[in-house]
Amino acid sequence: MYQTVVGLEIHIHLNTKSKAFCSCLAEFGDEPNTNVCPVCLGYPGVLPVLNEEALTQGYTVARALGCNLSQRTLFDRKNYFYPDMPKNYQITQFHDPVGRDGKIEFQAHDGTIKTIRIHDVHLEEDAGKMIHAGDMSLCDYNRAGYSLLEVVTEPDLTSGEDAEAFLLSFQRLVRYLGVSDGNMDEGSMKCDTNVSIRKAGEPLGTKVEIKNLNSTRFIKKAIEFETKRQATALETNQRIVQETRLWNENRDVTESMRSKEGSLDYRYFPEPDIPPFLPDAAFWAAVESRQVELPLARKHRLTAAFGLSREQGDFVAESRFMADFFEQAAKESGNGLAVANWLMGDVQKELNHFNLSLEASPLTPFRLAQLQKLLDSGRIHIKIAKQLLDAVFEQNKDPEVVMREKGLEAITTEEQLSPIVDKVFEAHATVVEAIKAGDARQKGFLVGQVMKATDGRAAPALVNSLLAKRLG
Amino acid sequence: MDIGELETTAALAQIDLGEGDLARLGDAVSQMLAYFEKMNALDTEGLQPTTHALVKDNRVRPDIVEPSALADDLVDRAPEREDRFFVIPNVL
Repeated sequence: MYQTVVGLEIHIHLNTKSKAFCSCLAEFGDEPNTNVCPVCLGYPGVLPVLNEEALTQGYTVARALGCNLSQRTLFDRKNYFYPDMPKNYQITQFHDPVGRDGKIEFQAHDGTIKTIRIHDVHLEEDAGKMIHAGDMSLCDYNRAGYSLLEVVTEPDLTSGEDAEAFLLSFQRLVRYLGVSDGNMDEGSMKCDTNVSIRKAGEPLGTKVEIKNLNSTRFIKKAIEFETKRQATALETNQRIVQETRLWNENRDVTESMRSKEGSLDYRYFPEPDIPPFLPDAAFWAAVESRQVELPLARKHRLTAAFGLSREQGDFVAESRFMADFFEQAAKESGNGLAVANWLMGDVQKELNHFNLSLEASPLTPFRLAQLQKLLDSGRIHIKIAKQLLDAVFEQNKDPEVVMREKGLEAITTEEQLSPIVDKVFEAHATVVEAIKAGDARQKGFLVGQVMKATDGRAAPALVNSLLAKRLG
Repeated sequence: MDIGELETTAALAQIDLGEGDLARLGDAVSQMLAYFEKMNALDTEGLQPTTHALVKDNRVRPDIVEPSALADDLVDRAPEREDRFFVIPNVL
């Protein structure tokens, strides 16, 4: 039986307003070639200047991934001839990347915690976009020069499922750090996947690189397909060729990319236009100030502190906003479990109904906590609580305010309930007589009438005890 | 310079070179390489590579957008374009 060995090269677009080496706007979807200048179009004689924010974000990620951080980071030119890069080279980091030799934990597919080693984290620039049509190719350089961060893992993953789980946790991590939106479908996160197989205990096999993977699900499927393909090849005494293959999402297979003339030699050399960067105390402090409690640690802490299930923990730690929202509401209300249930259930329903995100909704941690406190103190019932939640979304008011305005507070004292029961008994005297004569079946009818008369606000236990007393 | 290497380099750069070009450029490139060989002969044992001279402080810029006033001109200067796309022979 073969073992699958997977290493990932993950690219993320960093959250910078301008490009990495020039001041052009870094934004998607504009008219072609509007956010361009002589620097990102690779004109001779220009001087690229490094965006400090890109550097800060790069170090922030490297630090969060437990890397050794470079005290003197340097850029290199990676030479290649392809028109998506008008300079004929990409500015990247080869010899002195911002970080090396990191490691990070993630929750594997089966729930166990695994550690992945990080080979390096380096900054570079993205290439332009090309459209191939007939006998011509169209070039748009709006994306050329975007700040890109590449994270290269060691080959520590052992299945498609784990690769997918790792990518999802990496995506959460960069979102928590606020350095990228990590959306694969919009191209702000991309991942090339290296796959090889071996028998247990044997050295690493020949690896194949798979490209064109734009969702975590495709990555899982591609690894599974490639494992089978390579195993079949070995079983039939064929050699596995070290090559680049493309994922064909229509056929669910990987296909060999026509190999280029010989192997590419990128002839890396130090980028003479970008001087080395030596982080000073202020820079290190900025990197430190951007560290956050990482998603996995946060999930574990919230789960333990509020007695959540694994599913609830996953849900509330999914985004930093959700985790902050949950934690605040849980502390404020003193009932984390109920808050998690609200967030996963009725709050999601309201958000879907109003087509809102939690961020944009009128619900705040304070309002959710207030709702739960009203419920826990018996001032409202669950049915009323759901009405109040709906009212928060409809009217953008605190639940307690709506409760008062609409008189929805529960009737919890005999004093309040007695006159109502009197009226119901008067109106249904024959039923009362029948029950007193022994027909207990009609008791439920009276309970219903009292509830109706109070718009469901009467505490059920109180109604039952009061009726029992009156009916003997 | 080995002609094969020159052909590979030309192919990578997507440049078509005829027999005459290859001979002419082969000589020119060989001359350049001979010059580098002279530099290669120098004894640099124990010396730190100098990637950048005269750099004292970090040189970075703040993350501020300043759209280039030249974008339209640069597009206009393209030998061939379609709308705002630069047009080149198909390279796929």
